[in-house]
Amino acid sequence: MVRLYPNRCQLVGSAFISGFLISLVRSFIHFVILISRQGKVRLTKWYSPYQQKERSTVIRELSGLILTRGPKLCNFVEWKGFKVVYASLYFCICIDPDDNELEILEIIHHFVEILDRYFGSVCELDLIFNFHKAYYILDEILIAGELQESSKKTVARLIAAQDSLVETAKEETGSISNMISQAM
Amino acid sequence: MALTGMRGLSVFISDVRNCQNKEQERLRVDKELGNIRTRFKNEKALTHYEKKKYVWKMLYIYMLGYDVDFGHMEAVSLISAPKYPEKQVGYIVTSCLLTENHEFLRMAINTVRNDIIGRNETFQCLALTMVGNIGGKEFSESLATDVQKLLLSSSCRPLVRKKAALCLLRLYRKNPDVINIDGWYDRMSQLLDERDLGVLTSVMSLFVALVSNNVEAYWNCLPKCVKILERLGRNQDVPQEYTYYGIPSPWIQVKTMRALQYFPTIEDPNTRRALFEVLQHILMGTDVVKNVNKNNAAHAILFEALALVVHLDAEKEMMSQCVALLGKFIAVREPNIRYLGLENMTRLLLVSDAQDIIKRHQAQIIISLKDPDISIRRRALDLLYGMCDVTNAKDIVEELLQYLNTADLAMREELALKAAILAEKFAPDLSWYSYQFLHQFHIICSDIFQM
Repeated sequence: MVRLYPNRCQLVGSAFISGFLISLVRSFIHFVILISRQGKVRLTKWYSPYQQKERSTVIRELSGLILTRGPKLCNFVEWKGFKVVYASLYFCICIDPDDNELEILEIIHHFVEILDRYFGSVCELDLIFNFHKAYYILDEILIAGELQESSKKTVARLIAAQDSLVETAKEETGSISNMISQAM
Repeated sequence: MALTGMRGLSVFISDVRNCQNKEQERLRVDKELGNIRTRFKNEKALTHYEKKKYVWKMLYIYMLGYDVDFGHMEAVSLISAPKYPEKQVGYIVTSCLLTENHEFLRMAINTVRNDIIGRNETFQCLALTMVGNIGGKEFSESLATDVQKLLLSSSCRPLVRKKAALCLLRLYRKNPDVINIDGWYDRMSQLLDERDLGVLTSVMSLFVALVSNNVEAYWNCLPKCVKILERLGRNQDVPQEYTYYGIPSPWIQVKTMRALQYFPTIEDPNTRRALFEVLQHILMGTDVVKNVNKNNAAHAILFEALALVVHLDAEKEMMSQCVALLGKFIAVREPNIRYLGLENMTRLLLVSDAQDIIKRHQAQIIISLKDPDISIRRRALDLLYGMCDVTNAKDIVEELLQYLNTADLAMREELALKAAILAEKFAPDLSWYSYQFLHQFHIICSDIFQM
């Protein structure tokens, strides 16, 4: 019998089955990317080690893959042996193939709801001019590529506390400068 | 809640956005980078506030896609700043720009450690977050003990403990030796008694990682997991803030069921019964609702429950329920559910009896092979490949080859490969096989000659 693709057959055959039996030790969010419809990057957070060049490649490839998907398709794409869950204005989260996709989809929604609450109906401009805030908020939602806090109320309270710490520090600096300039 | 402080940053961002083209943008960015480079050279004269401003600009430029090959030192040095605003920026920008093996990180270890063991809770949180996000092996070796102490300390507030849990998880992934199994036998069990659901969310992630590596040590945690599922399933003592569209912490439920999939069996009949009751309730009680988010959360739980049922190799009745559910899912309009239905049906193939029941849905799966969504097409192909046996090989291979004619480029290689493997494996006789082989060869050749 003629064998078409001798070695690759076996590889593909076994990879198919073993894919589901591999231990899930490394199962977590690898990165979060937020890209606009035009492919502009608004936020990136990497929980797995990706070097600078690799990051650019990832962004380019995923933009190409996701931005071309029509509106009525599912929120999941398969890419390089990973899965990428994406939603609303292209929050993209990369996970392992065995992770729970809908759980991740709702993490995206959770993040968006918190941004909404914080900015008062968040729009892209908010994320552009206050990108640093988006990072602070993301750091209260995810650590080590895992969900940290599912209570919007708690996250809102934490961010407000951080904001007020910054305000207080500014006032202190301001009042010290005043004192100094008055003294001169 | 508009622009906060840092006018210089806002002005810079506006400038960049007002650039008419890429060239102009590059000029503006280069000008700024040059400016920052000069200011950084004159470090003595740079206040923490100014450094903070420049470091944010650097991050913005980096996000635009430009190479930022300097200034990492300054970002890391801000970690040592005495005041919160600057320290916060140092920690966050460092975790965005640097990867775990960056040499500058090593220099920050002492400062980070001081923040972790110090009395300032906000500094602790900053440090735990950064280490949890980008900590590497060295951080693991230096800090794991201190992080562990915070997690287990009853005087630490939930805010710190939940960050400590995930930070420890990261350090464990980098260096599994940091968790001494003997000590953790009881500790993990105690941690699962946690009342604060924010902390429990993080603790459960840690637990999944620990149990995936070493089930024997954590048998006593099994009944606790089932109790957690029971409590959440009944919405018992769940604060409103942890209820997501009416569903009590779906993420904890999913993670707990994930953890249970690492236990090979459930010995105790009571625990087993209790768990099956929970699972049965989920299988039968998950309705499709209008609200998308509630639907997603409920189905996230359902699909994880399905995976757990498959793992437990439940009674035949429960299995048929699962397949029936999945059979429904692969035909719904909602693409996400269709995708997940196909994916989970493929998982079900690993269970010996399920294959026959799954084959009844062959027609619908073949329809999915031609779905407008490539993600769904891929799942359908995998499923057809997996469910192929002597009885349906001929049909399936013929379908695959027929589809190969019109399939898009991205699918063709895999289609051809899978069809070839199946044809060879199940060839009823030589002539059928030769025909399929030649047919396929013809298609591939015409592709090649057209390119």
